[in-house]
Amino acid sequence: MATDTDTARGEGFGEVSRVRGIVFEYLSLGASVLGIFALAVLLIYVTIDAFDLANADPLWLLTYFLTLVVPFLGFCLYSARDPALTRRAVAVAGGGLVAVAAVFTAIEAFVGEVPRLNWQLTYLFVAVIPLTGYLTYMGARGRPGSVGFGLIGRLIGGTAIGLAFTVLFLVFDERLWFLAYTLGIVPALLAYAYGQLRDTPAAVTAALPVSILGVLLAVFAREALRTYPTTAFIYLWTLAIPIAAAGAVVVNGRGSRTAALTAGGVPLALAAAVGLFGRAAGLGVGGPNALVVIAVTGVPVAVYLHRVFDAGDGLTGLGLPVLLAAGALAGALVVETFGIPTPSPWVSETFLTEAPSRTASEAGLYPAIVGSVIIIAMVAVLSFVLGVATSVFLEEYTADSGVVGGLTRLLQINIANLAAIPSVVYGLLGLGLFANFLGLGFGTAVTVSLTLSLLILPITIISAQEAIRSVPDDLRRGSDAMGATRWQTTKNVVLPEAFPGILTGTILALGRAIGETAPLIMVGAATTVFSPPSSLFSKFSAMPMQIYAWANFPQAEFRYGVVAAGVITLLIILIGMNGTAILLRNRAEEGH
Amino acid sequence: MASSHDADTEGITRRKSLAALGGVGALALAGCTETEGSDGSDGSDGSDGSDGSDGSDSLSGAINIAGSSTVFPLMSAVMEDFAEQHPDVDPDISSTGSGGGFSNFFCVGETDFNNASRPIQPEEEELCADNGVEYVELIAATDALTVVINNDNDFATEMTVDELSQIWQSDAAELWSDVRDEWPDEEIERFGAADTSGTYDYFIENVMGEDGHTDDYQATEQDNTIASGVEGSEYAIGYFGFAYWFQNQDQVTPVAIDNGNGPVEPSLETASSGEYAPLSRPLFTYPSIESLGEEHIAEFARYFVEQTTNEDLVAGDVGYVPATEETQEEQMQTLEDAIEQAQG
Repeated sequence: MATDTDTARGEGFGEVSRVRGIVFEYLSLGASVLGIFALAVLLIYVTIDAFDLANADPLWLLTYFLTLVVPFLGFCLYSARDPALTRRAVAVAGGGLVAVAAVFTAIEAFVGEVPRLNWQLTYLFVAVIPLTGYLTYMGARGRPGSVGFGLIGRLIGGTAIGLAFTVLFLVFDERLWFLAYTLGIVPALLAYAYGQLRDTPAAVTAALPVSILGVLLAVFAREALRTYPTTAFIYLWTLAIPIAAAGAVVVNGRGSRTAALTAGGVPLALAAAVGLFGRAAGLGVGGPNALVVIAVTGVPVAVYLHRVFDAGDGLTGLGLPVLLAAGALAGALVVETFGIPTPSPWVSETFLTEAPSRTASEAGLYPAIVGSVIIIAMVAVLSFVLGVATSVFLEEYTADSGVVGGLTRLLQINIANLAAIPSVVYGLLGLGLFANFLGLGFGTAVTVSLTLSLLILPITIISAQEAIRSVPDDLRRGSDAMGATRWQTTKNVVLPEAFPGILTGTILALGRAIGETAPLIMVGAATTVFSPPSSLFSKFSAMPMQIYAWANFPQAEFRYGVVAAGVITLLIILIGMNGTAILLRNRAEEGH
Repeated sequence: MASSHDADTEGITRRKSLAALGGVGALALAGCTETEGSDGSDGSDGSDGSDGSDGSDSLSGAINIAGSSTVFPLMSAVMEDFAEQHPDVDPDISSTGSGGGFSNFFCVGETDFNNASRPIQPEEEELCADNGVEYVELIAATDALTVVINNDNDFATEMTVDELSQIWQSDAAELWSDVRDEWPDEEIERFGAADTSGTYDYFIENVMGEDGHTDDYQATEQDNTIASGVEGSEYAIGYFGFAYWFQNQDQVTPVAIDNGNGPVEPSLETASSGEYAPLSRPLFTYPSIESLGEEHIAEFARYFVEQTTNEDLVAGDVGYVPATEETQEEQMQTLEDAIEQAQG
């Protein structure tokens, strides 16, 4: 190598050695592969433990592979309509089977036994899951595929958001919300709509004061009033009806009035019927929570169905949920009929809905899940508002030079440094400031969320600043030239342009906040609680706290099974959160 | 004209539908209301119900507990049962370590109970006194500190306290053969509790005495890490609470300790009879007297003392030695005195 560079230098236009470049390329490839491989192995083992796959009968795996995975892959290939892709997929599935079985057997024969893995599981993780991911991506690009995934996404997303609403109402007073909605939001919306329709600017301007007055009135009325509608009726009135109305308005904008009424009315009627009378009629489900979930899921699904039928393309895609449900049912039937032993996964209904227990099989994460969801919701709102406000101020309003400029730079340096401070220090700050000095209580939701918001605030500010800085100056100057004020420019030009970037930063920061343990320990969050918190000032636990406690339990079932189940649950909630934010971001990016 | 006509008919239908909706809404409102009075009276019932000996469902309120990670599994198991019987009681527990619980939470009046794997220390007593926090000491269970070796180690299955001390004291033996001549010429690998742990303090006090603890060992708060360390090396030795070994008996081998009366293996029986000396130790919980003034906390404390003799729970589920009937009676007397003092 040394001679190579020497020749290059000596002869001017001689040959330049490419060895370094090639070595560098492969080193960076190796580094990324190593990282991904290590993470993949960890996640595979966590998944195996959480779902008890090590004890899954190969026949059980085969049954569901045939009834669930194969039809799904077939659907994706059908949607992609690419014969070359189909051939490749079949080759990977078939070749992978032979290759994985051969390599795995060889490893077992010559190297030694691989703990808790067999070749069937290896095939599942090495070939089937990547293949499914790839084909899902390819299938989504075809029309039926995108329709099918859109429908599934709305079903899952709607259910998740509906459940999140019910969790939030565990600590937020639904009666106060009912009064605030009825006295503040509804009159304000009516005033706004009236003003828009009848062209009366005064009514539009009045909307904001009306809503503030109404909310204040609600706070006082909450003290005075003693009789309220039942929870189910409150949910119907404050959540289901407005969502259905919004859905109807959207459909109305695209098509006929009948369709609009159907799209809003049918899910609403279903939600009301199941929510109010489901239990009484002997259905398994019912009650206020079912009402919210059905309304939040049903309306977007109905609106989407209308859109798909309106477009009249890719209608076969709508069969995807049916295909998957039928596959799962058929699989269950086969397993039942032939008596194939089923694994007993740690991530189960009891795990998600029960309190922690000393017996591994009865242990649940429910109170901690509720705690984490509430904390993260509050952190998201707090850090978003504070972060965006700070970054807009720093980027758009402060001067770059003079004394103010100097101060701004000092502030910038401090913010950058704050991002690097260990989280325990923020825990101490939260303990001293929020818990002791302001008396918000040890380990309460308020203390914990304020502490975590401070913790991620530097990250949110810095990323929001980057996003705002990346908005081209030409746009600002253009807006100025039109005679816009600085506020108008910020509101109409800068923030909409920067919004996707700001969201990305906030997502990353929230991902960090949900997994934090050290500051929670410092501010005195509980390790274990047995019932979900009933107010913002009751003691909280969060998922990482409970998982960490389980990892220290003497029983092996806790350290492997239950901890793995906790990790998977945390991951799924994190992915769900990030998914929502990514969807919002993509929407915002498409917007212009 | 046509359009305005349309608007009119629309207006009528809209008005009609609004009226219909309003009517239905009013009906629903009338039918589906509830009054808060029932909620409010629940709280006042709490104090009434306490007069009856087991007014189980009338108790309500929060119970905050912090402290030792060793006592954590036992206390949370008891809390689980108590929370099941009294759905309105909201107990929570934090695993902070004995000292952390006393100094950060209990002695500043933030928690109702503090668990400890050793008796409260003078500085902590002082801190509590400064903040006016009074407490009583209750014995929760007995633990048998377990010394473990690798399953393949067949030579060191019995040791005297002196030999144990030679392995763990400040100028510790390098090789197994330094401790006893017939043992192999292999280096000793040590895995033990970190110096923040109550187990560490207890081990020094009762095995090494003034010779102190060696620095030449892997220190950790996690029993799990100690066990895997010992499992991985034939010439390793470690120590931790009995519960871990009790739940993972195949992983490592316990050492029988000879305190002058022949070697004794750690077990629930030998620990409770006191034969397993000097490594069986009491575990404590400290309720604050002020908190015991609240009926649901007093009731929980009584329930806890009752459960200390429950073999299925203390020994079977958690892996500690249950208290004897005698100890339980004493503890109950102490507790009742404290409750009386608190409630006047």
